[in-house]
Amino acid sequence: MTKKESGKARRLRFEIFRYNPEDPESEPHMQAFEIDEAPYMSLYIALNQIRETLDPSLQFDFACRSAICGSCGMMVNGRPTLGCRTLTSDLPEVVRLHPLPVFKLIGDLSVDTGTWFREMVEKSEAWIHAKEAFDPQAKEARMDDDLAQAIYEGERCIECGCCVASCGVANVNQNFAGPAGLNRIARFMMDPRDQRSDAEWFEVVSNSDGVFGCLGMMACHDVCPKELPLLEVYAYLRRKTLVAAFAGRS
Amino acid sequence: MPVKAKNSGTIPTVVSDARRQLYYELVSGASGLVLALFMWGHMVLVGSILTGERGFNWLAEMLEVYYIAQPTVVVILVLFLVHAALASRKIPAQLAERRRMIELGKGLAHAGRDRPATASAISPLQAHVESRLWIWQVRTGMVVLVLGSFHVILLGIDVLTPLFGERPGIEALTSVARVKAGLWLPYAILLLCVEFHASVGLYRLAVKWGVGRHFSRRALHIIERVLLWFFLGLGVVVLLVLADVLSPPLAFLLTGPAT
Repeated sequence: MTKKESGKARRLRFEIFRYNPEDPESEPHMQAFEIDEAPYMSLYIALNQIRETLDPSLQFDFACRSAICGSCGMMVNGRPTLGCRTLTSDLPEVVRLHPLPVFKLIGDLSVDTGTWFREMVEKSEAWIHAKEAFDPQAKEARMDDDLAQAIYEGERCIECGCCVASCGVANVNQNFAGPAGLNRIARFMMDPRDQRSDAEWFEVVSNSDGVFGCLGMMACHDVCPKELPLLEVYAYLRRKTLVAAFAGRS
Repeated sequence: MPVKAKNSGTIPTVVSDARRQLYYELVSGASGLVLALFMWGHMVLVGSILTGERGFNWLAEMLEVYYIAQPTVVVILVLFLVHAALASRKIPAQLAERRRMIELGKGLAHAGRDRPATASAISPLQAHVESRLWIWQVRTGMVVLVLGSFHVILLGIDVLTPLFGERPGIEALTSVARVKAGLWLPYAILLLCVEFHASVGLYRLAVKWGVGRHFSRRALHIIERVLLWFFLGLGVVVLLVLADVLSPPLAFLLTGPAT
């Protein structure tokens, strides 16, 4: 099967989703390409080779090729992941590639994640809400190291959209905040510089478009290329709803 | 949220939507937890049939004489319906939405299947089964709703009326007769669905509310599997005894000089 065989290179068959929404003639279909596997070949290298040698019209996104820019998310044999950090040696000989669902299709494997993430950020107002005016002369308030680390964990999200694509709820409910959205909300809830109250957050989080929309399928956590602790994020949000609802209410 | 009334300070309005959603979530989780724990306790009690008819009858009578069984039947029926109503609010209504979820779950489960031995630890292609487990939880939940209702109503009649057997209450003789007459089939299906639904449900509940901070998810998954197979195994043996296929394996416990 896919075991590394010494010496002989495998012949890889890529079945790639093709569709150009801009072209009225274009029909969605799968197209197969075959290339020889090279040592340490990533999907980034493979797709570029296909475009250079077999079909220059193939559309896909890559920028940094080191799992930082988040543009090469795609469905690889039914699972969302980054093309640049997926080695063909970890895959079977037949590789099926689809664009990420949920997001707007640009063409073939290329999708527009930016609009989705911008809407999410605007809806949850994912920026620091301070009550006092900013004083550039004042010293920065100190922050506990553990807390700073926890906030940084959330900030590590590269917005590739793999979690959103893997989420059953995000796939069927356009209004759901989605894994990346909930992670973003939790990041600002944790931040002491953000002065939105628990009660304000409660209205945002405690509903079926917020954390209670989550079914606990856990796919987002398993597919996240940055291995963000998403399950812990949701548990944190759930516990915060309890605190907001019942603390100081006796 | 409080609103200002014209002249009389603040008055509380109806429960805010956010608060209601929290209640739904809490009650659906808590009712699931209670029902799962009840199920396992119930299995142990029914397991008294393994000691023979005498042990089973004695236990059933104790629970009825002290009025434990009667209110339990009613409470469990109510919890059962509440849980069904609240848990089902998360099932997508449209067939196309369900199809999408099934397709997604299948893809995620299959992607890891071809994972070669050479795959590194950071390989993004590990097996993922939980999405599929959720879909099966919905399916088993539907089966439990139908067969479980039937069972609770049947046993409710048995406990509260003298319709079955010689007196109001559960007796080994009538139970065995019922199972032997053909109820073994729906009961076998119910057993499989209940045990799956309960153990996967508790696993998910634990992960959702962050028990995973103290236990790793892997550990929780193993606990889930152990509970599932233990109660499934116990259930199968109990069902075989009730169907009169197997003689009570623990009957020796109650034999002896006692009358």
